[in-house]
Amino acid sequence: MKYAPVHSLLLLVGCASLAQAQALKILPPQVTLARAGATQRLLAVLEDKGQVVADQSARATFSSADPKIARVEAGGILHAVADGETEIQATVDGKKATLKVKITGSRTEPNAIFRNHVIPILTRAGCNSGACHGALAGKGGLKLSLRGYDPTSDHFVLTRQNLGRRIDRLEPARSLFLLKPTMMVNHGGGQKLTVGSGDYQILADWIARGAPGPLAQDARVHRLEVFPTEARLKPKDEVQIVVRALYNDGTSEDVTRWAKFSSSEDLVATVSEDGQVKVAGHGEAAITVWYSNQVATNQIQSPLPNQLDARVFKDATRTNFIDDLVLQKLEALRIPPSPACSDSEFIRRAYLDAMGILPTPAEVEKFIADPARDKRSRLIDRILDRPEFIDYWAHKWADLLLVSTRKLPQPAVWSFHQHIRQSVADNVPWDRFARTLLTAQGSTLQNGAGNYFVLHRDVTELTEATAVTFLGMSITCARCHNHPLEKWTQDQYWQMANLFSRVGLKNGERSGEVMVQAQPEGEVPHPRRGVAMAPTPLDGKPLALESTQDRRAYFADWLTSPDNPYFARALVNRVWRNFLGRGIVEAEDDLRQTNPPTNGPLLDRLAQDFIDHKYDVKYLVRTVMNSATYQRSSLTTPQNASDDRFFSHYLIRRLTAEVLLDAYSQVTDVPTPFTQIQIGSTGGTAATSLYPPGTRALQLPDSLLVSPFLDAFGRPERAQTCSCERQQDSSVGQALHLNNGKTLNEKLRAKNARVAAWLTENLSDEEAIRRVYLLALCRAPTATELSRFKSLLAEAAQDKQATRREALEDLFWAVLTSKEFVFNR
Amino acid sequence: MLRFDAARPVTFCDGLSRRDFLHVGAISSLGLTLPTLMSQRAQGATPPSEVNCIMLFLVGGPSQIDTWDPKPSAPDEVRGPFKPIATNVPGMQISEIFPRMAKHADKFSLIRSVYHTATAVHDTGHQMMQTGRLFAGGIEYPHIGSALTYVKGQRGEVPGYVLLPRPIGRTGGNLPHGHSAGFLGKQYDPFILNADPSDKNFKVPDLLPPDYLGTIRAERRQRMREAVDGALAAFEKQAQAKQYDDNFNLAYRLMSSPKAREAFALDKEPEAMRDRYGRTRFGQSCLLARRLIERGVRFVTVNMFETVFDEITWDIHGSRPFTDITEMAKQVAPNFDKAYSTLLEDLKERGLLQTTIVTAMGEFGRTPKINPAGGRDHHPGVWTILMGGGPIKGGQVIGESDELGYSPKTRPTQPGEIAATIYKGLGLDPHKELPGPQGRPIPLADYAVQPIKELF
Repeated sequence: MKYAPVHSLLLLVGCASLAQAQALKILPPQVTLARAGATQRLLAVLEDKGQVVADQSARATFSSADPKIARVEAGGILHAVADGETEIQATVDGKKATLKVKITGSRTEPNAIFRNHVIPILTRAGCNSGACHGALAGKGGLKLSLRGYDPTSDHFVLTRQNLGRRIDRLEPARSLFLLKPTMMVNHGGGQKLTVGSGDYQILADWIARGAPGPLAQDARVHRLEVFPTEARLKPKDEVQIVVRALYNDGTSEDVTRWAKFSSSEDLVATVSEDGQVKVAGHGEAAITVWYSNQVATNQIQSPLPNQLDARVFKDATRTNFIDDLVLQKLEALRIPPSPACSDSEFIRRAYLDAMGILPTPAEVEKFIADPARDKRSRLIDRILDRPEFIDYWAHKWADLLLVSTRKLPQPAVWSFHQHIRQSVADNVPWDRFARTLLTAQGSTLQNGAGNYFVLHRDVTELTEATAVTFLGMSITCARCHNHPLEKWTQDQYWQMANLFSRVGLKNGERSGEVMVQAQPEGEVPHPRRGVAMAPTPLDGKPLALESTQDRRAYFADWLTSPDNPYFARALVNRVWRNFLGRGIVEAEDDLRQTNPPTNGPLLDRLAQDFIDHKYDVKYLVRTVMNSATYQRSSLTTPQNASDDRFFSHYLIRRLTAEVLLDAYSQVTDVPTPFTQIQIGSTGGTAATSLYPPGTRALQLPDSLLVSPFLDAFGRPERAQTCSCERQQDSSVGQALHLNNGKTLNEKLRAKNARVAAWLTENLSDEEAIRRVYLLALCRAPTATELSRFKSLLAEAAQDKQATRREALEDLFWAVLTSKEFVFNR
Repeated sequence: MLRFDAARPVTFCDGLSRRDFLHVGAISSLGLTLPTLMSQRAQGATPPSEVNCIMLFLVGGPSQIDTWDPKPSAPDEVRGPFKPIATNVPGMQISEIFPRMAKHADKFSLIRSVYHTATAVHDTGHQMMQTGRLFAGGIEYPHIGSALTYVKGQRGEVPGYVLLPRPIGRTGGNLPHGHSAGFLGKQYDPFILNADPSDKNFKVPDLLPPDYLGTIRAERRQRMREAVDGALAAFEKQAQAKQYDDNFNLAYRLMSSPKAREAFALDKEPEAMRDRYGRTRFGQSCLLARRLIERGVRFVTVNMFETVFDEITWDIHGSRPFTDITEMAKQVAPNFDKAYSTLLEDLKERGLLQTTIVTAMGEFGRTPKINPAGGRDHHPGVWTILMGGGPIKGGQVIGESDELGYSPKTRPTQPGEIAATIYKGLGLDPHKELPGPQGRPIPLADYAVQPIKELF
């Protein structure tokens, strides 16, 4: 007790010095109100080193220097009164902040317009959601476009349909449009609007002015601003989000009350319908704001309650920019990095991640014994030159490009796979790889890349698959309506689709051959508008409809331009995920605006570095593998155990189906036979002799070889361009298969299995245990493991029914089904 | 004989030792010890408030006119060779090829106005009838059994959703058939039997250790496995590693739990009971379904056929590789009549019918007009399905087809409404939202779709 005063004194001092470093600021930093009756919500925030650390708006006293020009309510709502300029002041705890505001257009009549006010009010109230009138069939006889993507049709429906009963221009309050949502008459959807509220008034005024429809010259929202853009808070803190729409006529408007909010991580921060953020835990959350087909995000950081010395980060190993950027994020969130992994962990990890094979015992022993300081980076160089590296990456890109006899004839699959494999072997830069594929011409048997177009004959399929493959984004939603989770509109979708409308395919002379060529004409019409849109890449410049250029080449130019913000990011994110177990954006092919990266600067820098090095994939792989971040231990510390996305430690992952099967073959020395194939076009199975004994699963060009093991462990079907096809979860079926199924058990029992040679050698129990560990886990057994296994083997030796061979098989089985084997770590 | 394992029993989560289970299983004296074992573990039984479901999938698409929607006054080229017979429900008539079913019509209702508008291939119907929806836009919807297991979890040691005997394979469209968990993820996929319960040596693949892995060895393997895994405590804690271990434990419980093993042990059924269901793949699958439901499985799908090629099925095009009407009437109909009727009787006798929905459905109907080969082709315009048990009222006819059995005449019913009805019958809100791809909420059945209220 007697120390208490000292303690609180210290605290006081701490607070005072902390508070002194913090400045009060009003957000948004500039305000111009350009409409009669316009308002703007203001925030009074504390900033520390330029970062918002507290929202004091509720406690602040706001005042206006000239209330005849602009007045401000308690809580910070600014109202336009008359044209002019004045200053707003906010005061909290003796700190002051000021803001200059400008009022224009205060004398104009109310001018709420359909597109920018009426529809947002309906959207915010949920009227045009998929569950209500936005459903395909509408509700209660009223059908609106989903989230208002089609203002023209919505205006027609609201003002003309049903003999115009929904709108009463003479007595707006008698309009069904207002009577229903206010429950003045019965409404199946319940009360959505209050009589006399601000929104009610806007709708009533709009009706009174004759309910004008959307016009071509209406100002369009071209960007959203969110305040604060980022905040560094602690649990239980709250902050209000303010959203401002910027229109293309230069004006702006506070749209906070119509915007829709969501949090990426409710466990870190939640956000209310009105944009009030409440910090719930530690970590980082992105708050996504939607308004009128625009999306913006802000970031809420809540550092972990770890007491850490600054040296933890200063002294951490750094080999390249990756480490600087990862450590910067970790430091901001107070998450300490795990130490470096051991050499034996590293060689196993590097082999599996880059080549999908285990190192041999000789390779492990040689690597561990090597005293050279740079041995890890030299190992990486050797890995990059191995043929297994080619197998692994060719398989990966074959997954991505759906190489399979599911839809392609056998010769085409070989040709397509050969094209990909050669590209990996030659380390063809990613931009050239993409261009070659997307502009492929001629025979699909000579130029395997052309099969891409055979797989995606339908123009929408081709458009969507290309977006996922090379931009890492799904634009499928926008085929039918504006993308609800992205800024892409249905118009943009069909502009992009029209770039792929001139791909000509005709059967060649040989079996399985298709001739691909660019056609001089052909358009794909927008299904709602009925006309072809100028072919335009996403956010790119349109190509004239009459141009005779190969539209695919125009697309490839845009795609592989260094200015393309998506192309390089998509690829580096895929490669990053391969090595670090989680994309900087996860899922790896879901780079949408509403799914922000966990480390934006890192993704940007990796992409820029990739562009600067001419899209050299091997260079990228080398950079990632050499980083201290990749080489960290997978073991967590109590302070970083909760981190699964900021890369404070190596994330463990189950080996993929093919890698695990090949590893079983490698350790048991019994290859997997691939002698049956599913028949893609008609179903059923047939014998095949295309794959000689010893072919590894990673070398298969096709996804239809019969293998209960690969099916159980989640091999992708290669039917749909999506990283989600590959399943890396574990399942009961997998466990049953390992316990009782044929794959592993028969490899162990095979006549010429590795264990047979050991019996001939008359290996001691201890030597057998040591060898299995080295083969499978690339390490020696611990003393405990050794003694436990020795006693279990001794027990087995006493069992009259068990042969020595069986006991050794069981030793293999135990190690090969252990988590340590099945996971890369 | 020295028995190390006997001296060292391994204790399981349920408090019983593995030695007990494996020995019980190995010595095949299960019948004697089972009641004791069962009484020690009440978990896994269906609470009286919960409803389960058996879905009999009549792969191939039964002809509505030749089965449960006879048209005796239609012209010759439509009417077909069979006469209607009365059932134990006044006014309800079905085809004479189902004499036993006719005695149980109070236990099921007929929905005679089901139709769909998608392409007339088997696969689309499989998707719609098993998930309520046609797959589109890259989204694969979950089977009702997967969604049920997602929402309610599995009971005790038995899987939540079991598929017998095998998934539907080749039916011409090369599309997914809708038996899996779709966007819910692999962990909600059905437990697939992948074996024929009518085989003399029937057993569940991978469920039991192979012959060369005796009980002592299997147990030693597990102990060896623990010897490796104990080495890295910090590794164990990570979520993925834990999931792998949990699944390994679940699998081990499944293979060593007498209850789970016993649930699949069809040879424990009296011979007379096995005969009652019929010694066919379908009959024995229906019996196995009843055993599984009785032991806590929530949903069982029985596919009557795996393919429509080179097999006598409901797919009565009239020529090879398909089936003709007479073959269907001689083989397929009696097989169904016997198994379905026995299933209803058996469930009723065991007091399980009131908590078990039994539905039987095909993927579409057949063209009313008999084709030149003497068969009928695909016709999703209208067909009849059967539903009863649980809270579903029996003895009713819902909807009608027109005079020729070509289109619905009253109460047209889409596949989604059937799914919504089953969801409601299972005690779920049909519009409960599931987490769809990219966080998009997807209701069990579309918002606009309602259950068939006449059935409750």
